[in-house]
Amino acid sequence: MSETIYEIKNLQKYYEINLGLFKKPKIIKALNGISFDVKRGEVLSLVGESGCGKSTTAKLILKIEEPTGGEILFNGEDITKLQHHELEEYRKKVQIIFQDPYSSLNPRWKVGSIIGEPLKLNTNMRDIEIKERVLYLMEKVGMHPDWYERYPHQFSGGQRQRIGIARALALNPEIIVCDEPVSALDVSIQAQVLNLLLDLQDEFNLTYIFISHDLSVVEHISDRIVVMYFGDIVELKSVDDLFKNPEADYTKKLLSAIPTIKD
Amino acid sequence: MKNLLEVKNLKTFFYSDAGVNKAVNDVSFEIPKGKTVCIVGESGSGKSITSLSILRLIDHPGVIEGGEVILDGKDLLKLSDAQMRKIRGREISMIFQEPMTSLNPSYTVGYQIDEALRLHQKHLNKKQRFEKVVESLDLVGIPDPREKYREYPFKLSGGQRQRVMIAIAMACEPKLLIADEPTTALDVTIQAQVLDLMKELQDKKGTSILFITHDLGVVYQIADEVVVMYKGHIVEKASAQELFKDPRHPYTKALLHSIPIPGVTPRKSKLDTVDDDVDYLSFPKEIR
Repeated sequence: MSETIYEIKNLQKYYEINLGLFKKPKIIKALNGISFDVKRGEVLSLVGESGCGKSTTAKLILKIEEPTGGEILFNGEDITKLQHHELEEYRKKVQIIFQDPYSSLNPRWKVGSIIGEPLKLNTNMRDIEIKERVLYLMEKVGMHPDWYERYPHQFSGGQRQRIGIARALALNPEIIVCDEPVSALDVSIQAQVLNLLLDLQDEFNLTYIFISHDLSVVEHISDRIVVMYFGDIVELKSVDDLFKNPEADYTKKLLSAIPTIKD
Repeated sequence: MKNLLEVKNLKTFFYSDAGVNKAVNDVSFEIPKGKTVCIVGESGSGKSITSLSILRLIDHPGVIEGGEVILDGKDLLKLSDAQMRKIRGREISMIFQEPMTSLNPSYTVGYQIDEALRLHQKHLNKKQRFEKVVESLDLVGIPDPREKYREYPFKLSGGQRQRVMIAIAMACEPKLLIADEPTTALDVTIQAQVLDLMKELQDKKGTSILFITHDLGVVYQIADEVVVMYKGHIVEKASAQELFKDPRHPYTKALLHSIPIPGVTPRKSKLDTVDDDVDYLSFPKEIR
């Protein structure tokens, strides 16, 4: 396997907004042709303000939306051209953890079924094997096996996020896209989830694409950082380099705006 | 008199079939004139309920069971509903967390700021009120205030909406501004602007601010005094300087160590967490 998981080349995404029957549609350029790569085993963070295109990038990588132009090479293969079966295979290798653990879990399903769903859909495992695997995953994310039969509403935000993480791990993915996984959580719970994500990365050799607007969190967890602004990449550097020598004006502004406890 | 507001032994309980939830249990603190007091705590610590209790905005099944909230010598908990309505918006006003949902989408921005003046400044005529609204939009840093008067909230960005919320709250020049997580929904750069704005308004008008947040970074930036709440109780109270230099209560320490600080916390190291198994209330309160 190669060192580079993703190679993203000149990725573009435009949205058309219809203003009316006889008016020309307005074009919103969410991504202006960005290029970067993701190395195996690293944590690459995308940071920027709302509307800068970081979530759009994630959606394109996950094949939730189609790019207007450009290429996304996954282990050397352009995923924008994948068809049926290949696409299914690709989707098993790439998982996501969502921001809001309250709306991303089905309230009518039990924890066991939520975590087991990817296994049910994508593998030929028997029910009993699935249950075994789910209990193993629950242990890995620090959940009690007795909670198998519980519903999401019986859990706090941090615990729900653990359910989401267990589900993302179910199919042994190569890469997990974490879309603001801790920004809906309290600081103390946030610390627990960050610790968990780092532990799991070690154990399962995961690669993370980490999306966040909280630079203190990003500094703690990342290897490299992509700073985005209005659909463009303004800076891409290792964490140390970025925090020590920010070059772009926007990065400087962003860094100076972090409210930290240190003077 | 040094203190604008004194909260003494405030108790707010919620009653349900499952039992009594003592959301705010015997909480006392003071807000000095012209200063910023921060209440910090996690969700469920009772910080928002404390602020709502001050304004007496607690709804069924919640009941303010006891205590005193003394503003300029009068106990707000003893006022009639009609008297209380005159306090809200005029002497104490509030900014909420979600600027997207706390403005009415079907009225213009100007109309919504004007509402506070219509209710509380009845001696002003229409023209005077218009000028005052434009002035307050200008004060909170909205460009072209005369144009923006007629805009609807959907045309404004999140930061601008929060500025409008602040303009509404400041319209009657209240003595106390309660801000419940006013910047949590905003981007960091916008957050910095809004915090600067609040400080600037405080300097100009001498308003006291009660700021509720879970973000200790924000607390460090703006607080004079800090109140740390945990499960309905105050566990530590100190000036901001003392609290960050020398946190004494185990819960405060755990909270402070759970956030990574760029350049200080070793990268990818285990962060301390608030331990669910520890009964932090068993430690003595640290009130300085």
